[in-house]
Amino acid sequence: MKLLRLEFYKCRRRRITLICAGILAAQLLWFGAYLTRQDPEDLAQGWMLMLYNLALVDAILLPVGTAAVASRNCEIEHKGAALKLLETAITPGRLYGAKLAWGALVLLALVAVRTILFTALGVWMDFPGGVPWGRMGVFTLISWAVSMMLYALQQGLSLRFANQAVALVCGIFGSFVGLMSMLFPVWVQRCAPWGYYGLLSLTRMNWDEATRITDFYWRWPEPVDVVLLCLWAAVFLTVGRTLFVRKEV
Amino acid sequence: MNIVETRGLCKQYGQAMRVKQLNLSVPEGAVYGFLGPNGAGKSTTLKMVLGLAKPTAGEITVFGKHVNPHNRIAILKQVGSLIESPSYYGHLTGEENLRIVQTLRGAPEKDIQEVLSIVRLDGQKGKQVAHYSLGMKQRLGLAAALLGFPKLLILDEPTNGLDPAGIQEMRELICSLPGQFGMTVLVSSHLLSEIDQMADHVGIIREGELVFQDTLAALHARSRHHLALRTTDNGEAARLLGESRIPCTLEEGYLILPLLTDADAAKLSRFLAAHRVDLLRMEERQKSLEDIFLELTGKAASL
Repeated sequence: MKLLRLEFYKCRRRRITLICAGILAAQLLWFGAYLTRQDPEDLAQGWMLMLYNLALVDAILLPVGTAAVASRNCEIEHKGAALKLLETAITPGRLYGAKLAWGALVLLALVAVRTILFTALGVWMDFPGGVPWGRMGVFTLISWAVSMMLYALQQGLSLRFANQAVALVCGIFGSFVGLMSMLFPVWVQRCAPWGYYGLLSLTRMNWDEATRITDFYWRWPEPVDVVLLCLWAAVFLTVGRTLFVRKEV
Repeated sequence: MNIVETRGLCKQYGQAMRVKQLNLSVPEGAVYGFLGPNGAGKSTTLKMVLGLAKPTAGEITVFGKHVNPHNRIAILKQVGSLIESPSYYGHLTGEENLRIVQTLRGAPEKDIQEVLSIVRLDGQKGKQVAHYSLGMKQRLGLAAALLGFPKLLILDEPTNGLDPAGIQEMRELICSLPGQFGMTVLVSSHLLSEIDQMADHVGIIREGELVFQDTLAALHARSRHHLALRTTDNGEAARLLGESRIPCTLEEGYLILPLLTDADAAKLSRFLAAHRVDLLRMEERQKSLEDIFLELTGKAASL
């Protein structure tokens, strides 16, 4: 807990809140712009439409968002050569764990606030059928879990390379891959870690070519995809941590 | 008792052996000057003592305990360090930086103000460190090392980036630490004059090898006066001196002898002349500490 508190202390004036607010604002803008193009009858499936769009916008914004958050937290250790000092007081493994826990809490706060905002928006827009609390909760958990898997990758990169361009380029590349992977078959999505926002989405869309009508339906993620998500996370965590612990400062 | 001891310490990077069979002994309460030209392996050695670099071979003992990955952090609770450039968070103030170190080391909170006042940064404690000068950052690094007033302080080139007044201040501070706080200080430098003014024990490293280790007084003893002779036949003169049990060595065309009294010098010149060896030069010489350092390290570049 002491180390986790210190991570928050170290991130004073790093404008982490501003980055998170930027991500939320971009998501709200995206969905707001989308809503303006919908007819009233389209909003009959408002909650499904919202979660479908959020999965899409997560795939675009959260890879680069997690890269930015991880980079802001890890860059400070490189900038002032702080690892030489820290590693005489704590083991690199514990430091790595504290940074990961910090990232987990920041991302949890981000997706939780996002869920609250969008739920309020749905209530205000009077989407029919009442708030699907369970699905909103599961969706929040999925967004957080996929973001954490990517955060493990980004933290590994940000701590390994002093030049943060490496990690940020990876995040931008991830946003592109995350979006594009939705256009490909499931097995391709499974091979791209950034594609799991779409893969684990709670809503799917049907598009009838003859009537040119789209409708949405609920679904639950495939267990195999959840297992694969955990595997990706384990790989990123193990490789990133091992490289960091072995690195001499 | 030795506070730091290394036995057969080695560090290899790729094919290059940066530290070779180093046997360092830092006595308790000493200011131990670790001297060597740039790139000799000083920082690598100090990093290995702190566990920041893994030795290729050899053993390290600190406070009489063999250091291993399991007890390293516990041992280092009593060690303050400043390695190469100072470590800091530029977006935080000097005081906030020290609070992080104080929390990590479990040092009392009052130490923050005390160390700030020791390094004379109390007036700048609220300023972001990114706006500090290099000298101020160096002093902040020293303040962080002093937190908790550890038994051992390891300082790697602590006067880097300081102006002459700052260097003088830093020297005085380092010299006062053993007496004032009972600390042992292991300080590295590539400047002989600096170590000469601070240390009471010296270790000299050259290309990863320890070429001298003793008290500063012992190093000074090497710089005593001696006589240099040049004769018409140095070989014969050396033989004659050997027979007379006068120790001498041949260096660059001169016979080097211990300093003689005037009477003995006159007797020596008569003795050589009697054996048909004519005296061409007789000079009184003294080796400076720089000469000895150069002899030991074989480098002039960093002086």
